[in-house]
Amino acid sequence: MANGPDRGPGLVPWRLVIEMQHVTKLYPASGRPALDDVSTEIDKGEFVFLIGSSGSGKSTFLRLLLKEDDPTSGTVTVNGKPLGTMSKWQVPKLRRTMGCVFQDFRLLRNRTVAQNVAFALEVINKPHRTIKRVVPEVLEMVGLEGKANRLPGELSGGEQQRVAIARAFVNRPLVLLADEPTGNLDPETSEGIMLLLERINRTGTTVIMATHDYHIVDSMRRRVIELNGGVLTRDQSRGVYGVGR
Amino acid sequence: MRVNFVLSEVATGLRRNLTMTVAMILTTAISLGLMGTGLLIAGMISEMKEIYYDKVQVSIFLAPEVTEEQRAAIQQELESSTEVASFVYESQAEAYERFRQQFSQQPELVENTPADALPESFRVELVNPERYEVIAAEFPNGENGVDQVRDEGEFLDRLFSLLNGARNATIAVAVVQALAALLLISNTIQLAAFNRRNETNIMRLVGASRWYTQLPFILEAAIAGLIGGLLAAGGLILTKVLFIDRTLAGPIRAGIIPQVEWDAIIWNSVIVSGVGVALAGIAAYVTLRLYVRL
Ligand SMILES: Nc1ncnc2c1ncn2[C@@H]1O[C@H](COP(=O)(O)OP(=O)(O)OP(=O)(O)O)[C@@H](O)[C@H]1O
Ligand SMILES: [Mg+2]
Repeated sequence: MANGPDRGPGLVPWRLVIEMQHVTKLYPASGRPALDDVSTEIDKGEFVFLIGSSGSGKSTFLRLLLKEDDPTSGTVTVNGKPLGTMSKWQVPKLRRTMGCVFQDFRLLRNRTVAQNVAFALEVINKPHRTIKRVVPEVLEMVGLEGKANRLPGELSGGEQQRVAIARAFVNRPLVLLADEPTGNLDPETSEGIMLLLERINRTGTTVIMATHDYHIVDSMRRRVIELNGGVLTRDQSRGVYGVGR
Repeated sequence: MRVNFVLSEVATGLRRNLTMTVAMILTTAISLGLMGTGLLIAGMISEMKEIYYDKVQVSIFLAPEVTEEQRAAIQQELESSTEVASFVYESQAEAYERFRQQFSQQPELVENTPADALPESFRVELVNPERYEVIAAEFPNGENGVDQVRDEGEFLDRLFSLLNGARNATIAVAVVQALAALLLISNTIQLAAFNRRNETNIMRLVGASRWYTQLPFILEAAIAGLIGGLLAAGGLILTKVLFIDRTLAGPIRAGIIPQVEWDAIIWNSVIVSGVGVALAGIAAYVTLRLYVRL
């Protein structure tokens, strides 16, 4: 793994960021489990693709990590903290250590680029001074330095996704969860987004990205976890999208 | 807590569903106004009870042809009775004077009543108001110059059961209105939460605390409740100025109805506003807990 953590003794302390043990998720009013006895571990600083056909449980996987939902059985541990025993009022603290990006960007239409990013900091009570400093920094990092005062409607899809990434990353999360972040973008734009995610990964942030895009998976050669009808069927450290394509 | 942020959220929220907000405020105001009125009536009742029950429980009306000796005998008997706590004598002239005061608003009634139409009487306070029968037995109607012995308590009981009925009806309507107000508040908050779902979803994902996310909604409801309470308070003040101080001025001066002091109006206004804020806030909080995912 190019940017993986050093698992050897000494230098960097080895740390599991995410651990799933025998996780099963059964939605009510649904016969087949969305996740079926899934166990996996993800280290600090890893870049992981989560692949599988539609309905295979990728989004469910990410939702469980955010404690947007609880597993029917099994345990999910994030940064050493078991989510099962976490109380409701501790969940916000967990989410402050994670950033999320979605296919549909989820920006506030009536706020500018800078305001969208600042919003994420304001609502967790970051001081004004910090916000004023870090928002331009992160906008520069995602390549939007000249567009801070535009509204989302005045940006291309790729640019909007950069705003979403800036918002997810501005708080320097431990983990960045991306649910099909390139799902609405053309291949060229997608490539730019992937470069950005790689850059974020190089800062030590663990990135977990659910995707259908086999071009991206094949070209990046990162760890691949494949779900098939909720079952983890493949976990390959330098994977491609489909074996034998 | 970023006060600006919260306040601007509240302002947007209130403006965004203006019709719902207005309906919510008006329903709350009516409910609280009725509640305030109920409280005022309750206060009046307890004051009236003090005025009436404590003074006269039995009236002994004398016959027009009563003799000096009979009157003295009755007085003698009252003085010696162990059942009697105190008594006063009211002459025909005094009875007429009191009548004139009570009905000063209806001068034609006073004019058409001859000065000697009202009987003289002894007004008796009993040691134990329940023992009316004993006094009635001591002074048989139509004998020894006694025309009639009347249990004022019985009359008062009927009067107060009427007043209590009025109070209960007012409060019952207030409760029904309050129920409607609560449903409207709940509905408005659900609508507001739906309108702001993008913001709250993002807030949830970036780890804003529940409190931070819920506060704008709760404040929105509480402010609507406060406005409703203030409108109700305005209603109470108008009631005092336009109804109590005008229509009821005569009976109040005559001492039939106790004066409703500004104290009581202000105190009830404060209670009603507080209840409005608290109920609306709690309704919003419960709604968020039950129906809205934040
Ligand atoms: N809230 C829900 N209630 C009931 N069933 C759900 C819910 N969310 C997902 N499911 C079901 O769980 C299964 C997995 O869904 P999930 O969204 O995790 O799949 P996915 O891999 O993300 O699919 P896609 O690639 O289309 O986004 C599907 O069968 C779906 O119907
Ligand atoms: Mg999905």
